[in-house]
Amino acid sequence: MEVYNKTFRNTPNSELQTPNSPKAHRVVITGLGIVSSIGVGKEGFWENCLQGVSGTKPIQGFDVSSYRSRSGAQLPEIDFKAFIKPANLRRMDRIGKIVVSSVRLAIDDSGLNLKEEDSSRMGISIGTGLGSSDTVDQFFRSLLKEGPIGAAPLLFQTAVPNAITSHCAIEYGIKGVNITFSHKESSTEMAMTFAYHLLKEGRAEVLFAGGGDELSEPLYHVYSMLGALSPGRGKGVEGMRPFDQDRNGIVLGEGSGILVLETLEHAKKRGAKIYAEMAGVGLSGSTDGLLRYDLKGDSIAKAMSLAAEELRTVDYISAAANSTPDLDRAEALAIKKVFKERTKEISVSSLKSMLGEFDGSGGIRACGLALSLYHGMIPPTIGTEHLATDCDLNVVLGQSKKKEIRSALLNGCSNGGSNISLWFKHFDHQ
Amino acid sequence: MKKRVVITGLGVVSAVGNNLPEFWNSLVEGKDGTKEITVFDPSAYRTRIAAEVSHLDPEAHFSKKEIRRLSRCDQFGLIAFREAWKSARLDQGARDKERVGVVLGAGSGGILSVEKYFRDFYQGRKKSSPSLLTSYSLATTTDHIAIESGLKGPRTTTATVCSSSSASIGVACEMIQMGLSDVMVTGGSDSLCEVSYSGFNSLKLVDPESCKPFDKRRQGLVIGEGSGILILEELEHALNRNALIHAEFLGFGICADAYHLTAPEPNGEGVERVIRIALAHAGVSPEEVDTINAHGTATPFNDIAETRGVKRVFGERAKEIPISGIKSMIGHCLGSAGGIEAVATVMTLETGIIPPTIHYEVPDPLCDLNYTPNQSLRKDVRVALSNSFAFGGNNVCLVFKKFSSE
Repeated sequence: MEVYNKTFRNTPNSELQTPNSPKAHRVVITGLGIVSSIGVGKEGFWENCLQGVSGTKPIQGFDVSSYRSRSGAQLPEIDFKAFIKPANLRRMDRIGKIVVSSVRLAIDDSGLNLKEEDSSRMGISIGTGLGSSDTVDQFFRSLLKEGPIGAAPLLFQTAVPNAITSHCAIEYGIKGVNITFSHKESSTEMAMTFAYHLLKEGRAEVLFAGGGDELSEPLYHVYSMLGALSPGRGKGVEGMRPFDQDRNGIVLGEGSGILVLETLEHAKKRGAKIYAEMAGVGLSGSTDGLLRYDLKGDSIAKAMSLAAEELRTVDYISAAANSTPDLDRAEALAIKKVFKERTKEISVSSLKSMLGEFDGSGGIRACGLALSLYHGMIPPTIGTEHLATDCDLNVVLGQSKKKEIRSALLNGCSNGGSNISLWFKHFDHQ
Repeated sequence: MKKRVVITGLGVVSAVGNNLPEFWNSLVEGKDGTKEITVFDPSAYRTRIAAEVSHLDPEAHFSKKEIRRLSRCDQFGLIAFREAWKSARLDQGARDKERVGVVLGAGSGGILSVEKYFRDFYQGRKKSSPSLLTSYSLATTTDHIAIESGLKGPRTTTATVCSSSSASIGVACEMIQMGLSDVMVTGGSDSLCEVSYSGFNSLKLVDPESCKPFDKRRQGLVIGEGSGILILEELEHALNRNALIHAEFLGFGICADAYHLTAPEPNGEGVERVIRIALAHAGVSPEEVDTINAHGTATPFNDIAETRGVKRVFGERAKEIPISGIKSMIGHCLGSAGGIEAVATVMTLETGIIPPTIHYEVPDPLCDLNYTPNQSLRKDVRVALSNSFAFGGNNVCLVFKKFSSE
């Protein structure tokens, strides 16, 4: 065996190299597309984000009177015709429209002229927790009521989770990478991870990465039955309170966020505006139970340590904290484990306090983080009044904070235990 | 430097066998797994068949409490995983579970359980059990596997349905390339459910008799179910622990047709593109490809597009390459199709046997390649492709090679 090993180690690996693989490319963020409960489009979103506007309102569109919780961070009415060709709108369901619109906004923001790009070197990597949950529900109810004849082919073709990604590819003629991830609250973080890696390897030039989810009636029902929703304190509409001593569960949100990721060479060649650099990813699994987060924070700590090559430059963490007792405590523990005595220097904020919690929230939060690095501003964590003793971090409360950020982490943590951390760096234009 | 990635464990649950030897023997013998559906009542449908998993006793694998908690999809995934894990001998000794991850592909996932919940809920029959709703997420089977074995590496689930578990193998390989893990559990699991069955029926894509890929009489797919799990491992890691190596995974391609929500691009351009991307990533020339495990769903359009795509890549030589359409035996297992087919492809490399496309009788002038009709073929195979194409023109191609230490 020893001889065998030596022989292998001395074997040149050249036949396995692809033309582009030896060189690692730098990956930059050059466009942002945001469809959120606190703003559609980068400008509106960012202004509300810095002002700490809450997206949480009484649920509209379906009856929640039989549930303990009655709030959600739903999207405003959106005229999707502004973003999508009317002929194509007809075959999309609501989540399809939401995600395709966010891709449109990202393309426009990036200044890319898709006609000038090599369509097979462009791609799309989308994360969604429950995709077309509403379409699946409609399809199923019609099947229950009418039997096989009630099964509607038009609903079925949009019911598959990757229909969203296919819509984007068809709408914009994007013929390269095309993939959909669905892994609870780390779905979009995974989509961005995969896109980052492919660009770094030179397997694509421009990738649209991110995604989102919709807040549908069946989804609200499922979350409620699983006991995940915050009952509030019985005093009307109330949003989440990440890291607060009285936090008691999530408020559902919805929306989609897309990053335009491209290789630095490609971005420079076309003179693109660069928001930030994506410079690392860390992934780790925890195994505390099917509906449990990483209870001790070890796995989240490992994800952050793997992601940030230079931990000493991390000035801000866009947290996954979602107002559940377990996750917020675990994330705080993890941050303290990784940063030790530097913990107090690191600003922490959870944009979920404004957006609500949903599986695909990472896309919008990543857009927010890119804006933070670009503008040197950190949005506040709203709703939180009394930091819990087990969450004694430097949480940005009440008002947004001006701060030069050298680098920052975005955390995504799912129940069941997929923990992902993305490392974004300030891009020095000199 | 690109790392070399090998396959060191395999596990299967399928309509033609609930473990690897049984599955492989059935494929080599050309056994058809199609039967009358029992998991739900199919009597109202135009078609009543599926490649359903049978002779599988859950109580031989799980406790009563576990059986209540686990969806059919979870059960298949766990059984196939345990077989793969055991055969990889990773349960022996103190392996570093921090560096073992799980990436599975999903299709319908545990919808069978969710259907049960909502059927009761909407019909107001009785109080439905909320525990059925833990299967609402497509990530559930992936999480069960990781939690059962305490695997703390990277974890995710791909959701491109018909190509999900092929995509998951590509993603798993990248986790090793990124240096985030040494070993990845990958592939997929899926079970029959009424939503997907009625959906494919409503699109008139289901054959009422049998699945006949590339045959002129083909009318569509037969839905299947099961799980195919592979253990991917970084080569040095595998060599250092003297693991049994089944084959090498060289690379993959993934791309879009950007054409239509259900129909494939008819000229095979998307198929051509994905095979070329995969070959370039693998560092293999078209001349080196010895066999192709086809997507071969037996829908009228897919088989033509796939044939055209193969011809665009391989030219004249396309006719010499034996193509295998094993969906004729195991059905279209949706979220686990790519995983089960990857297991078969690895077995082909290891044994030198190409399984047949059964039910092949009447040639179609538009599908004029060598589909290994009805009889398996012995051939020394060095490089094999496995194709998977999904709704919406989501294409994946995987490249495997017979392992040699050179």
